[in-house]
Amino acid sequence: MNFIKIRKKTVYAILITIFFVFVLAVGLRGNPGNFGKDDFFTLNWQGNGPFESSNDRGRFALTFSFVEDKSLNFSIPVANFAAPDLAITEDGRYASLFAPGVSFLIIPGYIVGKYFNVSQLGAFAVVALFALLNALLIYLIAKKVGAQTIPATLGALSFLFATPAFTYAVSLSQHHFSVFTLLFCIYLVLNWNNWWSLSAIWFMCAASIVIDNPNFFFLLPIGLFALGRIFYIKKEENGLKFIIKPFYIFTFLAMLPPLIFFGWFNKSSNGSPFQLAGTLERVLSLSDESNSVKGSSLVNIPLDKDGKIEKESEEKTSIGFFETRNMFNGFYVHFVSRDRGILWFTPVVLFGVLGLIIIFKKYQSISTVLIASVGMNVLLYSMWGDPWGGWAFGSRYLIPSYALLSIGIAIALTKWRGSFIFLLLFFMVFVYSVRINTLGALGTSAIPPKAEVLALEELSGTIQKYDFERSRDYIKEIGSKSFVYKVLVSKYINAYQYYNLVSGLILFVGGFLIVRHWFYGRSEISKKQRL
Amino acid sequence: MKNNIIQFLIFEKYIKKSRQFLKRWDITILIIVLSLISIASFVFYLNNGLGLAYNDARSHLDIGRRVVEGLNTGFAQLGSVWLPLTHLLMTLTVWNDFMWHSGLAGAIQSMIAFVVTGILIYLFIKELGIGMIGRLLGVFLFVANINILYLQATAMTELMLLATMTAGAYLLLRWFKTEKLLYLLYSAFFIMLGTLVRYDAWFLLFLVSLMIGIYLFKKYNYKRAEGMFVLFCTLGGFGVFLWLIWNAAIFKDPLYFAFGPYSAHTQQDQLNSAGALPTKGNWLLSFKMYIYALAYNTGAFTMFLGLIGAVVLWMDKKIPKNIRFATVALIAPLLFNVLALYLGHSVLFIQGISGDTWFNVRYGVMMVPSIAIFVGYLVGKFKPLRATLIGLLLFVTFFSFTSGDAVTIDDARVGSSQKNVKEVSEWLKENTADKKGFILISVASHDSIIFSSGLPMKKFIHEGAGKYYKVAIENPDLWARWIVVRSYSDDDSTWREIKDKPGFKMYNLIDHYPFADIYELKPEYLENLNTEAVFDKNQNKQ
Repeated sequence: MNFIKIRKKTVYAILITIFFVFVLAVGLRGNPGNFGKDDFFTLNWQGNGPFESSNDRGRFALTFSFVEDKSLNFSIPVANFAAPDLAITEDGRYASLFAPGVSFLIIPGYIVGKYFNVSQLGAFAVVALFALLNALLIYLIAKKVGAQTIPATLGALSFLFATPAFTYAVSLSQHHFSVFTLLFCIYLVLNWNNWWSLSAIWFMCAASIVIDNPNFFFLLPIGLFALGRIFYIKKEENGLKFIIKPFYIFTFLAMLPPLIFFGWFNKSSNGSPFQLAGTLERVLSLSDESNSVKGSSLVNIPLDKDGKIEKESEEKTSIGFFETRNMFNGFYVHFVSRDRGILWFTPVVLFGVLGLIIIFKKYQSISTVLIASVGMNVLLYSMWGDPWGGWAFGSRYLIPSYALLSIGIAIALTKWRGSFIFLLLFFMVFVYSVRINTLGALGTSAIPPKAEVLALEELSGTIQKYDFERSRDYIKEIGSKSFVYKVLVSKYINAYQYYNLVSGLILFVGGFLIVRHWFYGRSEISKKQRL
Repeated sequence: MKNNIIQFLIFEKYIKKSRQFLKRWDITILIIVLSLISIASFVFYLNNGLGLAYNDARSHLDIGRRVVEGLNTGFAQLGSVWLPLTHLLMTLTVWNDFMWHSGLAGAIQSMIAFVVTGILIYLFIKELGIGMIGRLLGVFLFVANINILYLQATAMTELMLLATMTAGAYLLLRWFKTEKLLYLLYSAFFIMLGTLVRYDAWFLLFLVSLMIGIYLFKKYNYKRAEGMFVLFCTLGGFGVFLWLIWNAAIFKDPLYFAFGPYSAHTQQDQLNSAGALPTKGNWLLSFKMYIYALAYNTGAFTMFLGLIGAVVLWMDKKIPKNIRFATVALIAPLLFNVLALYLGHSVLFIQGISGDTWFNVRYGVMMVPSIAIFVGYLVGKFKPLRATLIGLLLFVTFFSFTSGDAVTIDDARVGSSQKNVKEVSEWLKENTADKKGFILISVASHDSIIFSSGLPMKKFIHEGAGKYYKVAIENPDLWARWIVVRSYSDDDSTWREIKDKPGFKMYNLIDHYPFADIYELKPEYLENLNTEAVFDKNQNKQ
């Protein structure tokens, strides 16, 4: 009997994993062939290809430069490719504007991909791999805090395919790596309290900063929570006891490898171990016109009238990017606005709020960490000068919050497993969210903020959309950015049919799981009633 | 060290002792800490030159100064537009040149009000049954607000209003709790003081009177409600009554402050006819505008937590109904400001909503103590989430300081509230200080020039200078060596009076400046010029 049970569980896990891998694979953006310097400024690779935003290009440029040119600083063509997310050091070298973690983590994928003549695809596949690991961690954490198997799967499914996390799982960005560090730390504190787990947490905390500097703040709550396992206060009958575990202090040493790497990178690339890339002077464009993007309708790099390079003139500090004055507008952009708001792009995560409340009642300490992490994430990126995240799909900066709220989704679905109304409502919102986010994954994710649209309309003379409709139009008029579609499927069906097929598949599996869950919940309730 | 663990114990008796110490000295400690913060903040803004950035701050100081120094001193200089209490308090110190020009004469009362408000927030939260952490957090949110820190360091009236209104609301809460008459009278007294600081407190007087009437009528009977209502209004409304009498006595119209030529109403009418009063008759925009001002002054996150705190407080069945009802007084500033915007009695410009400027955005600070109380209550109430909420609030506060987020300073520096009068006042300082002769000027239009020039008040002939002004506008060439006016603007009363007078032709235009022009009497007419104060006090009043 047990054997059958284990086999059933294994088959379920294998099938679900295959499904997740399959959908990520069919969504993964890419072009065939190894990406080379001749491809830098072609429409096929930029506007209509995998490098549509400077966010993708900036990080990939560092990987390319490191592997191909053996340099942490950019040659002129690579610098042109990375602009406007390009920095210049005091001694005039071009450097990446981003923290180096992602660029280094994708190197194995790049090399393996290069071997198979798909270097870019290989690099992007590493992001998808981390997205998959995030889904797994959501599943495991949700189970740990009381979710049943199917709701935990639905939580993972919602995160991966019903939020903008889908778009950023098939393109190149820091988000899934950041989420991984956060979820992995939460998983560690939930399961272990020993020397090794604490070391791993400090390692992840330090590594997260190398991936993206603001991660320092997201991991602060979990870091403090872990710190509470080294220093803590206990209330006793005769007073307050202060307890320190001195040997655990050595676990902080685990932070050294990522920080040493970071210091080495900063020294080599930016001139000083403490010089963060984001605080370097930014170069918006280089005036070499032969390298300007040809035929692209999406990128418009401004050029300096007289000088060769157009730079930003403001003095920058690592915390100067965040201003509380922006917060009110930031809240609006992240939650309500048509161009990025959760309400329009991924309302399914709102079910997660209910789940977090339930977790809070049961597991106060860990739910405090979850709530604090969501709070940090929302507050930090509401203070950010560009809460839209440039030309992006949905509120991409809130992807860590979507992950944490997805754990809540699993719990909410577990709690109301027998409620037809709740599950129906969830399914309806889930359908909407999947349909929207598949657009971003398969189409373009370069959606301008509403504030830029008027100027764009003036320039282009056409109506410019600033919501997911732009991605839909892209799929209908230009096609899909998916590698699989371009190489294998485009001969048989058009991109919009492909979009329907992929989103239909996700909805079919999601719907099946919800129905299965409802039946299971109902039988559980009737069993209880009979007892 | 046992089992690889270092541990030490703080015995219960020491914890108890420190608790008792805090309980006994909490207010004293708070007074010391808040006073130090207040002084440090004043010194900071004095040194960086922002202390008197508001045009209004300089005007407030001049009003106080004119009572004690000038060609026509006396209490009549208090005027009709701005309520008199802060100016009256200023007269105690503004006679001193340092106190006048540093702004300390006006700021000192704001600084005291800052300390008092901080303590009142602490006591208010304590009355709601919240522990030390919630109370201290409430005080922290008030104190760590850069807008508050700035306004308490200037000669503006907001902090005095906050102190009097919070005192009124706190004592009202005490009365609702105990029904001791004394608290009601104290509350009425502080609200009465508030009504002599800013008109916002008039609305509080109205709201609180209504609350008292409704509460007593529902709990007892009409007679008792009527008696207490009349008693409360008699003391609470005494300030309003005095102000009406003052206006009737000095300006021959009890409503001169409301409808006179320098009243806010007249200014709003001008704005309205220029189409610059979009909130008038528009509830939604009025609400939106004030919410923005509130968010920019308190911080959006704190504001949202405050909103949640208010809802939780009003739904908290553990707190008696009457106590919950008493806290409604805390939202008086919100109601007043939205209503004033809707009726067109107030104007508020938010950058991004009403063009590219700020104006009166500081009105958002009126809700800061209330928000601090609501958040303090919320955090005190939800113990499990306490660490998270405090952490997030500290996080946001940290960034408010690193980004120097003070909308009130922007309002003062780049908004419509500022006037760059440096050039004209510098000219006056350099060219008139050591020469004999008066300067004819309108204080209604150019008070900040008078202040910034650093010249004594008695050097100026202005609307409040009695007979000097009357004779000077008839024959400027006999009384004024210099004239400062905004040429061709009939809004400038001095220009309006002298533009067609033959004597005005005897002046040379020295230069045009951003807000005013300077005229100087031609040297050939200096012979007939009066350069000394010749009228005695009685003559000057004629």
